[in-house]
Amino acid sequence: MSVVDTHRVFRVTTASRIASVLGLLLLLALAAAPWWMGRADLRLLGEIYLYLSLAMLWNLLAGYAGLVSVGQQAYVGLGGYVLFALTIFGGLHPFTAIGLSVVIGAIVAIPVAALIFRLRGAYFAIGTWVIAEVFRLGFAQVSALGGGSGISLPVDVVRSLADGRDAREATSYWLTLGCAAAVMAIAYLFLRSRNGLALTAIRDNELAASSLGIDIWRSKFVVYVVVGGLTTFVGSLIFLQKLRISPDAAFSVNDWTAYVIFIVVIGGIGSLEGPIIGTVAFFLLRETLADLGSIYLIVLGAIAIAVMLVAPKGLWGLVQDLTGLRLFPLGYRVEPKQSRKE
Amino acid sequence: MTHFTTNRRTVIRGLAAIGLAAPAILRGRSAFAQGRTIKVGHVSPRTGPLAGFAEADEYVLEGIRAKFAEGIAGQGGTYNIEIITADSQSNPNRAAEVASDLILREEVDIITAASTPDTTNPVADQAELNEVPCITTDCPWQPYFFGRSGDPANGFESTYHFFWGLEDVIAAFLAMWDGTGVEKTVAGLFPNDADGNAWGDPELGLPKPLAAAGYTLVDPGRYQPLTDDFTAQINAFKEANCQIVTGNMIPPDFATFWAQAAQQGFNPKIVTIGKALLFPSVVDSLGERGNGLSSEVWWSPYHPFSSSLTGISAKDLANGYSDATGRPWTQPIGFKHALFEVVADVVKRADDVRDPQSIVAAIASTSLDTIVGPVDWSVGPVKNVTKTPLVGGQWQKGDNGLNLEIVANATAPEVPVTAEMQLL
Repeated sequence: MSVVDTHRVFRVTTASRIASVLGLLLLLALAAAPWWMGRADLRLLGEIYLYLSLAMLWNLLAGYAGLVSVGQQAYVGLGGYVLFALTIFGGLHPFTAIGLSVVIGAIVAIPVAALIFRLRGAYFAIGTWVIAEVFRLGFAQVSALGGGSGISLPVDVVRSLADGRDAREATSYWLTLGCAAAVMAIAYLFLRSRNGLALTAIRDNELAASSLGIDIWRSKFVVYVVVGGLTTFVGSLIFLQKLRISPDAAFSVNDWTAYVIFIVVIGGIGSLEGPIIGTVAFFLLRETLADLGSIYLIVLGAIAIAVMLVAPKGLWGLVQDLTGLRLFPLGYRVEPKQSRKE
Repeated sequence: MTHFTTNRRTVIRGLAAIGLAAPAILRGRSAFAQGRTIKVGHVSPRTGPLAGFAEADEYVLEGIRAKFAEGIAGQGGTYNIEIITADSQSNPNRAAEVASDLILREEVDIITAASTPDTTNPVADQAELNEVPCITTDCPWQPYFFGRSGDPANGFESTYHFFWGLEDVIAAFLAMWDGTGVEKTVAGLFPNDADGNAWGDPELGLPKPLAAAGYTLVDPGRYQPLTDDFTAQINAFKEANCQIVTGNMIPPDFATFWAQAAQQGFNPKIVTIGKALLFPSVVDSLGERGNGLSSEVWWSPYHPFSSSLTGISAKDLANGYSDATGRPWTQPIGFKHALFEVVADVVKRADDVRDPQSIVAAIASTSLDTIVGPVDWSVGPVKNVTKTPLVGGQWQKGDNGLNLEIVANATAPEVPVTAEMQLL
């Protein structure tokens, strides 16, 4: 009698079924938020969605493809500048500009990937940072976009989003919600695809994966380009909220990479649930502690160190180890069949 | 931010319902309980590299709050003014966030911000979009106005600014240099940031007026802030035999430049730098080589002005700060005080403090003698901007270390000169 007869291979669990139903209900409730929430809360949620998107994307890179990039701010800033350039000089509607930013980001990511994929490990991390600095210094030379001084998005451009303040705020809220939902859906579907399977194999053991015939360079390349495009998209939405861009703000390693790494690390790297938990934890900390100034940053650092020492797989890893819970049906599991014989 | 309002609870309730929230965030209080409280938001860089500008915030705001506690008599009765402060962390991204939070969550009636374009501009942009009256200061007006893509023909709707401009700084610098008889070859050091680009701009910046006054400017181009090597610039200045160094720098860049100038044998007669030499702590850190450096002076204890709100004189305000903290006075003290003088004056005169339009109208019609000089938006270089007096000062050795002395007042004769300009 073979194993196949006695064991059952499955992906979907009761927990993941419940999670998907609850997730959809939550999405519906959040989509209706402009009718039941205040303006400030919409704004905060919008920011949460954008950080969630960044965290999801960085997790795909670092958690699955093993590409520990500390230079994702290159794409966030690029997205911001693409939005400003296309709307101010191209005269495009913000929607069009935001849509185009995905394509532009992906196109830019191709030569960047070809360049930095020659580096490995710590060198790769530093290389990505260098690329982001090159972007920052590059945009600082473009005087049409304000050079090192920065530039404000004309109020007319923002007003063209929708008629009236409420409609405008709802539109920009839905853009951020749509962004987070889309990034999550793409990450989920990507991980369930052939490429995703290859990625999961790479995550678990790169050598073993390559001995199974997985083209590691190609798999990583696809992830890097997709994440680059989507991060650019998130960046354009971030600066639609900020209204003002300058090289230091656009390519800020603290705002767009350090906080994102913090989120993924405390949430749980290498899982889709981790970034969600991490984002919630990060915003709870920020909303309660940010007034403490420098102490707030010290607290963040201490928490990151504690989590890495006590629970290297993050908060979600802790939950998973204790309960075996999985909300996203990604990995296959094996379980003995309930059988009467023997 | 100092407290939270009810709206936060709604979002938390939503999150809590799905089991994601923690109780820590649930503290809050009603913002709408008091009928006659005007909320004023204030964004400043309390932490980070610009923290020196906001060093005196606590002291100045304490005095203002004590005065506001008595109530301000306005057109519709007596109002309480509540000041809600927020820290920009010296980061324009964070400045935009906290400004939007003050506007949307705290629903402030007036928002204020001070110190450098990185603070004033993001805050003013958020205010303009949300049509909240905004008053800012402590940033030259060109980076504020043109840095926000301002159009002199139309100006802005809701956002107003008072400080001086580059034309004033140039005049103040020239007034210092003219009497010294030093050869008129000037070295220019301008970083690639908001201030540096504005100062070095060939049309609106220093080059044209310097040429008109008979000075030759040697400008080796914009350098990247926080650079660690000024050799190229120093060589260019030595080659042109520059006797005067000017520009706009952040303190660490100036310290680097000044140390390398000494190492490489570049010894100008006059060094007049904007922004970097404002603070006693920075100049003290240069040791002996801090003596004789010069800078613009926007406010000092010698300014013959007093507060329209508390009646305190510039001298008493500065001394009060030194007595309370044991630290020397700094220039932002006066402007921070003046910012809230303007706020109080606007609240007094606004027809309807609940109506942003009415507040904006009151701001536009301000004509007030403050502790930093007259603030009156009907006289300004462009709409939404008005200017306060500026003079030239030099750090000179006194009994207790270096003091900033007023050495040239041609630009504002009402401010007395306290010492002679000395060459390095």
